[in-house]
Amino acid sequence: MIQLENVSREYGDGKVVYALDHVSLLIAKGERVAVMGPSGSGKSTLLNLVCGLDEPTSGEVKIDGTNIASLDDDRRTRLRREKIGMVFQTFNLLSTLTAQENVALPLRLNGSSKKEADSRAAAMLDKVGLGARVTHRPDQMSGGERQRIAIARALIFQPPVLLADEPTGNLDSKTGEEILALMDGLHREFNTTILMVTHNEEAAEHCDRVIRLRDGKIVSSTTAKEHTTKQ
Amino acid sequence: MLSVLAQITWKQWRQHRLRTALTLLGIALGVAVFFGVRTANLTLLSSLTTTIEKLAGKATLQITGGESGFPEAVWETVKDTPGVRVAQPVIEVIGNTAFADQSSLMIVGVDMLGDRELREYEFDETTTEIADPLVALAQPDSILISRTFADKHNLKDGDKLPLFTSQGRKEFTVRGIFKPQGMGEVFDGQIAVMDVFNAQFVFGRGKNIDRIDLMNEPEVDVLALRQKLRERLPAGVEIDRPASRGTGIEKAISAMSIGATIASFIALLVGVFIIFNTFSISVNQRWKEIGVLRALGVERGNVQRMFLGEAVLMGVIGSALGIFLGYFLAIGAERMLSQIATQLFSQVSTQQPPVFRWDFAVTAFVIGVLSSLIGALMPARGASRLNPILALHNIETRQQEDILGKTRLIAGVVLVIVSMGLIGFAPAKVGMNVQFGYAALLLFGMVLLLPKLTQWIARLLRPLMDRFFGSEGVLAVDTMIQSPRRTSATVGALMVGLMFVFATAAYVRSYQTTVSGWMDRIVNCDLFVAASDQARSRTYHFSEELSLRIAALPGIKRIENVRILFPTYADDSIGMVALDFDGWFERVKNVVEQADENEAREKMVAGEGVMVARNFVERYHLTTGDRLKLATPTVPFDMPIVGVIEDYTSEKGAVFLDRKLYKKYWNDSSVDMIEINLHPGTDRATVKTEVQRLVRGEHRAFVYTNQEYKKWIMDLINGFFALSYMQMAVSIIIAALGIVNALMISVAERKRELGVLRAIGGLRSQIRKMILLEAAAIAIVGVLIGAIAGFLNTWFIVRTMAMMVGGWTIPFSFSPVMVLIALPLAIGIALLAAWLPARKAVNTSVVEAIGYE
Repeated sequence: MIQLENVSREYGDGKVVYALDHVSLLIAKGERVAVMGPSGSGKSTLLNLVCGLDEPTSGEVKIDGTNIASLDDDRRTRLRREKIGMVFQTFNLLSTLTAQENVALPLRLNGSSKKEADSRAAAMLDKVGLGARVTHRPDQMSGGERQRIAIARALIFQPPVLLADEPTGNLDSKTGEEILALMDGLHREFNTTILMVTHNEEAAEHCDRVIRLRDGKIVSSTTAKEHTTKQ
Repeated sequence: MLSVLAQITWKQWRQHRLRTALTLLGIALGVAVFFGVRTANLTLLSSLTTTIEKLAGKATLQITGGESGFPEAVWETVKDTPGVRVAQPVIEVIGNTAFADQSSLMIVGVDMLGDRELREYEFDETTTEIADPLVALAQPDSILISRTFADKHNLKDGDKLPLFTSQGRKEFTVRGIFKPQGMGEVFDGQIAVMDVFNAQFVFGRGKNIDRIDLMNEPEVDVLALRQKLRERLPAGVEIDRPASRGTGIEKAISAMSIGATIASFIALLVGVFIIFNTFSISVNQRWKEIGVLRALGVERGNVQRMFLGEAVLMGVIGSALGIFLGYFLAIGAERMLSQIATQLFSQVSTQQPPVFRWDFAVTAFVIGVLSSLIGALMPARGASRLNPILALHNIETRQQEDILGKTRLIAGVVLVIVSMGLIGFAPAKVGMNVQFGYAALLLFGMVLLLPKLTQWIARLLRPLMDRFFGSEGVLAVDTMIQSPRRTSATVGALMVGLMFVFATAAYVRSYQTTVSGWMDRIVNCDLFVAASDQARSRTYHFSEELSLRIAALPGIKRIENVRILFPTYADDSIGMVALDFDGWFERVKNVVEQADENEAREKMVAGEGVMVARNFVERYHLTTGDRLKLATPTVPFDMPIVGVIEDYTSEKGAVFLDRKLYKKYWNDSSVDMIEINLHPGTDRATVKTEVQRLVRGEHRAFVYTNQEYKKWIMDLINGFFALSYMQMAVSIIIAALGIVNALMISVAERKRELGVLRAIGGLRSQIRKMILLEAAAIAIVGVLIGAIAGFLNTWFIVRTMAMMVGGWTIPFSFSPVMVLIALPLAIGIALLAAWLPARKAVNTSVVEAIGYE
């Protein structure tokens, strides 16, 4: 489903810094992969390359067989809209929109009527346990609830890929656990491929595989079970 | 602590240079207009006074008699008054040459034998061949001209200078050219001197003179001499020191000054909205920073002080810049005001650089800083109330202030209703300041209603945007609906500017309609011959001899000689119209109010009373039967008011009297306009051609048919409103700046939000389209709310301003056409304003934008 072939991402004019250094990775459909590593190891860069927000300096990033670097900006955006859902650590909700409007936003950008978008958004919010709070704005909700809205928004197209950047990073452990459980449930329901960047060992345990990055290189790739054993 | 906070503010300014620059420009423009208009007004007055002083020479007192002048006998009395060393008669005319361009020329008639004691004439020795040019003036065709005028028309000593006079075209011989200094600088150097008695004759003054310039004996106190003269001279003549005559001029041009001052306040108000918008956005952008500061132990008060300090600093820099810009703005504004003063009030100025007054600068500076503080007050309060825990936690947790709340809505509605009630029913005698308070209440009410109105109109727009622009259109409107604070600030700036534009335009239109209707009832002569291309000239008139020659033309049934002037009454300059009322009542019917028309006619024709304009009785609280006392250059005038008529000659009101009565009391037989009535069946165009043939080359006369005359009057009214149009232009420019500022800042502020939209699948083209559509929607909402505010404000102008300034009852009329004209203009400006930021927004890296806080 997600394939990185010898991908590098360099920064800087004079002294070149590798954010990712010749990384190759294959993630199968429906697989859940956690990416761990210290700050500056290249986790976020990896995520940005996979969702097409950033472009590799060399190598290829393929989503469902499509090399996203070969697409122009509009086609890449459409691919992101339809095939990739994104969940951020800081939720990145629009503060002026209600929960329902936030979730309906990708549908509206895709040209759906407000009625249809609202109805689908309400159904998705119901799935994430916020059926009763559709008209609330983010500032009227807790951190966990906000992350649920973000997940509902990410999954509104039922994309085959869900990218999550520290989804529990801003939450207390109980709420974090609830969010992970929610993601598990949705994974079971939609068989979504999940690539999750996290520092949280417990979050990693919810995945099938754990990849460790250091200085832009993959230093280990283990199953979650092996990972837990190592811990 | 404050120094650290100042450092943080400085870094913010450096980081957001565009936002800072646009905000400073907003304040600067408001202050510039405020300072510039006041400085231009002052400069105009100063230049008018300078003109008087330059023309006065060494005179310590000047005796004037209004526009009609006064009899020569007054001169005899003045000369014989002990303590008077020199007393010289003067005639002053703004005439026209009979050259092809018919250029204007100020002609000063002086007595060549004694005038050198009062005025120094520096002659251009290189060209003068005559030993004493002043003596040369004894020859009746002599004239002295300034070097500026001579150069402009390529004239030298001995050349002929043709002039239009009340006696027809006359040729004068140039017998001296004086340097462009002192008196030679007046009227931009377009000045000539001739013998006073010759001027008196050729310019139809009869036995009157316009002015006496006098110098006291050195041992005599000027004020004591003034008092002595006051006791000896008729009440209708005024005795003043030259420098203090400017006060009278100030009154004459007061209507012009009021309009300019209102425009400058509007400019400042828009500035307040710009500041409000900037600081609201700044607080939003610095949300996390405020949280950090609070977490580090900065108290609420200091957070508030940080923002208010920033506002003060912006106010200080913006105001200083504004005063600098305003000084240059004053140059242009003064030229325009000076032109209007010359054209409409026959007041001659001398070009001079703007007068810089420290008290004006300090006032403008303080008002600029205060405006900045007022604009920043609410956002600063909001910043100090932020919850630091939530602010630090994440960026979405913004506290929404209750700007759509019921209390605010009710307060807004109540204020609007109360102000409308006061405008409609409160007595006029409360005074101008209180009445302006009604408009302020109305504006404040509208500002309170702004967010709700914005939301309502945006909701109405929604289906239209959906239909025509799809999901981007709806998203654009939804963004507006969901961000009432951000949208309201932009809409507010537009509302204030457009409210002024719409209300002024509606008033101008209502006034034109009213005057047009009035002219249809009163102005029914067949032809008109005017002595000036303006409504009248203060100094140049026809003689009765011309009227007699016109009356002798075939097809003419009757002519009416009209004299229009502006004497002083109750310290005001009122209008006075003297004409042949027998003929007037023949053609005008059913116009006399508060009296029987037949009785009024009898008394008017017999010279036993006067009629007054409706606004005159309103202004001075008079009624039919009351006696009207006027000072004249001869004996006091005291006549009953025998009727009231609708009239728009002067905003201070006008008095109408029979010409015989006028000639008797004012000793003046000159004519400003000749109204011609034709025999039935006579062709107007044929007679017009005959009249034109008669005056051609002889008189500077303007001949109109009835229809042309009405159009001419309407054009003159438009000329009078030129200042209003300038004010409207200023409002539009500042409102446009408001849009540009708000949209540029708004798009910059939404960098993260737009980044999120891109991240979840928004195409670049969609984001661009959305930003542009939102800008267009804001413009539409701004125009519509501006129209509502303008509609209500028109009610204020019609009910209060028109009555207050002119005592006129103008019917309410508000044309939607101007709103339709403003709509595409505002949308165009908004799209232009949003184009660059939209481009920048879509080209920003999404990763950077999402990380942007």
